[in-house]
Amino acid sequence: MANTNGTMMRVTKLVKHYGEVHAVDGISFTIPHASVFTILGPNGAGKTTTLEILEGIRHPDSGEIEVFGVRLKRINRAVKERMGVLLQDGNFEPYLRVKEVMTLFASFFKSPLSVDEVLNKVALEEKMTAYIKTLSGGQKQRLAVGVALVNDPDLIFLDEPTTGLDPQARRNIWSIITDLKGQGKTIILTTHYMEEAEALSDHVCIMDHGAIIAEGSPRDLAARLGQETIIEFTSPDLSKNDLAPLAGCCKAIRVDGELVTVETEDLVPTMDHMLTWAKDHALSLKNMVVRQPNLEDVFLSLTGRRLRE
Amino acid sequence: MKGILLIARSHLTTAFRERITLFWFLVFPMFLLVILTLIFANMGQEGEINFPVTLLNEETSGGMTDFAAIVEGVFEKAGEASHEGKEPLFTLTQPSPGEDMKTFLTNEKNELRLGRRAAVIVIPSGFNQALLERMMRPDSPPTTESTITVYTNEGNVASEMATSIIEQIFAGIDREILAQTGRFDEGRAVPIETLWVGKNGEEVSYVDFLLPGMILMGFFVTGLFGVPGSILFARDRRILRRYWVTPLTVPRYLAGFSLGQVGLCVIQFAFLYLLGRFAFGASISFAKPESLFFLILASITFLSFGFFIASIAKTANSGMAIANVLNMPMMFLGGLFFPIGGLPWLLKAIVFVNPLTYLAEGLRTSLGVQGETISSPLTIVVPLCWIAFCILVASLRLNWDVER
Repeated sequence: MANTNGTMMRVTKLVKHYGEVHAVDGISFTIPHASVFTILGPNGAGKTTTLEILEGIRHPDSGEIEVFGVRLKRINRAVKERMGVLLQDGNFEPYLRVKEVMTLFASFFKSPLSVDEVLNKVALEEKMTAYIKTLSGGQKQRLAVGVALVNDPDLIFLDEPTTGLDPQARRNIWSIITDLKGQGKTIILTTHYMEEAEALSDHVCIMDHGAIIAEGSPRDLAARLGQETIIEFTSPDLSKNDLAPLAGCCKAIRVDGELVTVETEDLVPTMDHMLTWAKDHALSLKNMVVRQPNLEDVFLSLTGRRLRE
Repeated sequence: MKGILLIARSHLTTAFRERITLFWFLVFPMFLLVILTLIFANMGQEGEINFPVTLLNEETSGGMTDFAAIVEGVFEKAGEASHEGKEPLFTLTQPSPGEDMKTFLTNEKNELRLGRRAAVIVIPSGFNQALLERMMRPDSPPTTESTITVYTNEGNVASEMATSIIEQIFAGIDREILAQTGRFDEGRAVPIETLWVGKNGEEVSYVDFLLPGMILMGFFVTGLFGVPGSILFARDRRILRRYWVTPLTVPRYLAGFSLGQVGLCVIQFAFLYLLGRFAFGASISFAKPESLFFLILASITFLSFGFFIASIAKTANSGMAIANVLNMPMMFLGGLFFPIGGLPWLLKAIVFVNPLTYLAEGLRTSLGVQGETISSPLTIVVPLCWIAFCILVASLRLNWDVER
């Protein structure tokens, strides 16, 4: 399944250019067997192109991919037999029924699972005769997950699997991913949701402008910011001058619209100082949150931008 | 193989469940067949004042009772412009002196099939004597020699009108002949036999002429709209993308898609044939190797033509726009609904490059509802050239995934 040292996939100096645009600029990473590997990055970071190359939709300009212990220049049919892909923007024929779609995709593989078994796994057995066009967003996404699992793959690509879904549907997908991870499957995930990446990932790779700017477990990446604590609150019409008195009691202050983010290594004196400052200026610190740094903060500290900008 | 069959099945299933597709590939051709048959099989054409008619007088006996000369004289008179300068009723074509009668008749019947003649009238050899004997013995049955044959083309509205006028003229001739002999009697009228002209001179109805054209039109519309529509919409809506992340290859997908497309053509054929046969009495049989060959050739030609359009269109919408632009001129200048012999040169240019022209000709000739007007090899070679061209362009240009 994986190679002898427990690596499912190794990517070396992968390059893909579209004219002058360096979509993927010589990235390298290793994905351990039976793990959830998440690629994070803002739009245009190159994560979708990277995934498309690894899924076999696009061919790289250069670089090497080692998967299932085999070195390749591009993904071939033998590899596709053992991988499952949930595309970010894929669709199904709207006039086919759920079971017809599943049966169709199962027919593309040499040893597919039973269609009923897969429908049961993604909780769509009651919808098997429904037309695709009648399914809700969450049901469509569960079907897409089912299609990605119909060949019982060892390596699964999930490209933004919960984007646009309601909280309940999102939790359903999370549950499926957790089950797959429990079965020893290797999952490559992209997402915009930090909490999703933090909850599901064993390993996170942050991309920006076609390059990898940070890599590690969510905990390791957050730890790179040091022993900091984040204090957030909202307050309208605050200028940098208004916030100047706080500068001496914290490591950094950022203003993003009404949201003020304060980073500190010493929470109690900072809080004390802030509350005095707010009282003196008759300010109400609404929606105040005290939390540990997350992947969004890591990205912000590395690029000066938010992931969704 | 299972994957290919299931792709074909899903293509067919989708076509049947999608109302707009169902309309264009099945309801529309059937509707058109009904409308055209109802209108043109029975209606005249207003404003047609001059009919090109051929008169072949095979009678050479002459003498006192040269009835053949009387008939000939009447039609010659009808072929002359009037004193008021009005158009003559007929433009008469007759054999040149010394011309071989048999060859002349064959050529003129061919002209009739092409729509260049409204009728061909043949006065048989021995007509004078046979008609005289019939006048003497009015109870005797008409013989071949006493019967004037009028060849008409029922697929041609002008021909039907001319036939009606010719029958009126013969009624007048009867009166003249019998008045001259003093024996005017209905029973002694000049026998006329009207024959519709097909490939071998057999009877051909308009529905027999139209049905092969409608079947080809169905195949054409399915290929022209169905292929680029299905492929480009599936590509633009990222349906195809899901296939490309599985072991399914483009050639296997194409095999399945093409099989589904041919399946659509078979269903179209079945519906149109049954409608033509049982609703309008079509009598042609497609159970001939050469007819089946042309049906298969047509479905492959239009399939590849659809791939060609898909390859030159950037989006599904532009693909539909291109198909719309090509649809009308190709359909109406392919001889599907009526003969295209008398078109201006500019339109003829379209006719000559239009694969429909050759497929319609080949299919109709194989069915015996039309004489050969284009060299037989061309009816195969031209569509094959189109197939080769379209597949070449499609293989070089067709994108199977959305562009970045």
